[in-house]
Amino acid sequence: MEEKKIEYLELETKNEKLIRVELWFAPILIILPFVLSILLIWSWVIKGYLTGTNIYDQEFFLAIIIIAVNIMFDIPFIKSLRIHK
Amino acid sequence: MEGMKKVRMIKQKFTERNSKIKKKIDSVKFDTHWFRRVFHTFAVFFLMYYILPDEYWIHILKNSISVSLVFFVFILEYLRLKGKISGKQFFGLRVYEKNRVASYLYFGIAILILLLFFPQQISIPCILCACFYDPIIGELRHRFRNRTAYSIGFFICILFFMVTWYKANIWIMIAVSLLGAGGALIGEMKKVWWLDDDFAVQILPAVLILLLWQGLSLIDINILPGKIIFPI
Repeated sequence: MEEKKIEYLELETKNEKLIRVELWFAPILIILPFVLSILLIWSWVIKGYLTGTNIYDQEFFLAIIIIAVNIMFDIPFIKSLRIHK
Repeated sequence: MEGMKKVRMIKQKFTERNSKIKKKIDSVKFDTHWFRRVFHTFAVFFLMYYILPDEYWIHILKNSISVSLVFFVFILEYLRLKGKISGKQFFGLRVYEKNRVASYLYFGIAILILLLFFPQQISIPCILCACFYDPIIGELRHRFRNRTAYSIGFFICILFFMVTWYKANIWIMIAVSLLGAGGALIGEMKKVWWLDDDFAVQILPAVLILLLWQGLSLIDINILPGKIIFPI
């Protein structure tokens, strides 16, 4: 834990910053990769799966990789959120 | 009079509730380490570029948006380094990035180069490497020795290249996967102060595969498989 603290620039306390960019970014960081995956799966289902073509299979595999890795990192990120009292 | 009082009370209640919610939101504290990791994995969203239709005006629009985004980040970084914007406004910067160009600009420039100048068959696995390989390696290094972490990372990279090149001839797929994963590994391992690994991890494998592709096309062998992502 000590190592992690040294790695990053000193953080501001909540009152010192006018805009907490990270606060507005967080939902975007989590949601957008899933939006991309859903679009890829949707494209694969409509153009590939339902028509029996396998040209679009890579879109499906890509979507699965994106979902898996994002879940892998989103869960510890969400768990790490703390309420500052 | 009664009505006015009621309205005032409702207004006060609303304001109190709003400030309570604002306080609650403001009190959320982020872990810098995981924030950076999620920022990496989020960047895969830029593959959206390939989903958007390829019609003339959309093509121009998506190219100009990509260039503008990176230009905006460039200006932001310039202002931060010049001290016009306080570095304290940038969440999650590393200590070594205080007086140096931050890695997110390198990351953005590399993605832009890949999107604009490389075919998607080359750029997609390279973007996957930058978005996923770097945070995975980072986490593995926390748990295992460096050598073990890099070995596992190398195989993960091979997987990314195999998934995107499996439609090519099997020998080409193996060659491209080894070349790409090797390039990404060197990009991640060889750290120099003037070049961030976020840039090298994307550009080095892309250039190696580009050279292989162009070299073989001189003797009339086209190794490039079909598209991976098709526009909607």
